[in-house]
Amino acid sequence: MNQGLSIQALSAGYGKTPVLQGVGFEAPRGQITALLGPNGSGKSTLLKSILGLMPSQGSLRLDGVSLRSLSPLQRAQSIAYVPQRTVLTARLSVEEVVDLGRFAHRGPFSLRSQEDAHAVEDALVRTGVDTLRERIFTELSGGERQRVLLARALATGAKALLLDEPTSALDVRQVLTIHRVLRELAQDGCCIVVVLHGLAEARKNSDRAVLLSQGVIVQEGLVGDVLQADSIRSVYGVELVEGGALGFRLPGEGP
Amino acid sequence: MSRSAWAWMVLIVAFLAAIGMSLTVGDGDLSDPALRETFLKLRWWRLANSMLAGAALAVGGVLVQGLFRNPLASPSILGTTSGASLGGMMMLLLWNTTLVGNVPAWMPYELMLPLGCLLGAWLALFILMLVTGRKSGLVTVLLTGFILSSFFVAIGGLLMSLAQENWELGRAVVAFTLGGVDSKGATHVALALPMVVISAIIAMGWGRHLDAMLAGEEEAASLGVDVHQVRRWVIVWTASLTGAAVAIGGNIAFVGLVVPHVLRPFVGVKHRRLLPAALVGGAAFVAWADVLTRVLPAKGQIPLGVVTGLIGAPVFLFLLARAAREGRVA
Repeated sequence: MNQGLSIQALSAGYGKTPVLQGVGFEAPRGQITALLGPNGSGKSTLLKSILGLMPSQGSLRLDGVSLRSLSPLQRAQSIAYVPQRTVLTARLSVEEVVDLGRFAHRGPFSLRSQEDAHAVEDALVRTGVDTLRERIFTELSGGERQRVLLARALATGAKALLLDEPTSALDVRQVLTIHRVLRELAQDGCCIVVVLHGLAEARKNSDRAVLLSQGVIVQEGLVGDVLQADSIRSVYGVELVEGGALGFRLPGEGP
Repeated sequence: MSRSAWAWMVLIVAFLAAIGMSLTVGDGDLSDPALRETFLKLRWWRLANSMLAGAALAVGGVLVQGLFRNPLASPSILGTTSGASLGGMMMLLLWNTTLVGNVPAWMPYELMLPLGCLLGAWLALFILMLVTGRKSGLVTVLLTGFILSSFFVAIGGLLMSLAQENWELGRAVVAFTLGGVDSKGATHVALALPMVVISAIIAMGWGRHLDAMLAGEEEAASLGVDVHQVRRWVIVWTASLTGAAVAIGGNIAFVGLVVPHVLRPFVGVKHRRLLPAALVGGAAFVAWADVLTRVLPAKGQIPLGVVTGLIGAPVFLFLLARAAREGRVA
């Protein structure tokens, strides 16, 4: 598989403590791949290793190109990150925060180009935060902030998006809105990799899943194949109850 | 008119007024045509030095506050201010005890003292980088800077007490540590001007990196910022700027802390807007403080560092109290 993210034999850790050991999976373009696993199974470490935010060994390729061969700027143009929460406390407007996503496209002294303006505008509209553009980022609700961080990632122009539990602190409507945006992006050919906590949420919203436990991959593939009673029992130690969950949809969307 | 435009108008008026006041206020009588030119010339140099020191410190303040994502950071937290101060003090002692009369004429005292300051600042920086290394977090950098600073101050205290053996030398050391731009001339301007101009331009080039780093080092790195490189060069330039400022003005307190802090609510947090405003604001602030050293009642002149501290500390406390009341700082 050439189109999309391809990870092979990836190992990483903090100091001498290994967290990931020989991890490999594929995240094709046009699809949403969920990273699942209990707390401490290495999901966030995996995201950070792919992003180059922590040292790792192994093969990391996007559309056949090694991410390790790219400069920090090139990497930021091809792969974008939405953190679980940001430490941004400065008084920046929503538009200014989204504009930070254009960092990799500008030289040290260059001004905002037409292309930058288009990319920011497009990102604001797609995530539905264009009406908030003048608002101060730190004064927004959790769901609004998460959409702004997603808009910042879109503004980078990267075709691969890595999200770390983007819905963990959101109410049900905000969760659905985020997933709708992610689905639209996938349909446009983006490669989406998202760490999710909820298994029901993953089954409903993603195409593929990677199930991690203690730094190794237990199973990967189509989400329906991965989330089976056996694998869930072995990783989480719980029994799967079929058809037991509540389902939700945004008004105007099909069942 | 926007808040930013208002702020710029006030800054420019304050800047121009500082020039006017600095040239007209002082002990000398300008109505005497024989002395007028000399007085004006001395005051021009003094003005230029005060403005350069202020600009350097304020730009340095913006840089460290951006780097540490903390509006309460000051260039002195890197330990380079006290390093520069100690370097200057050592050069002063060395000059008066061994160097005077023994060095060639092209190495005048006016050049040696600033050189001592810069060497001190860079040495402090070298130790800082050596201890913290490439992988340390900002907290380690901060603590190392704090400890270095305390260490240099302790050595400085020791040197000062040794210098008291010689009354003249003791006075000179005390005067240097208290800070001042009187008797600073063209040599100092020639030394500091290129440094301040170049680092201000380079700082503008780092502006967008520092904007991205407002979101934390990890997010900045994901946006394409080479965080280690930014940190290293910002620290190097801040050290050079504070070294230059100490060289021309001694210890001038609170400028790097207060000026960016006061301007931020008006011109915004983005560095490309804040840096030029801080440059002008810092220059005007120190020039005004220097005017005050001449008019406040005292036997002789009040040291410049005392005036900036007397103004800066209460202003800062006021801002801090207001921010705390509004819940903006923890």
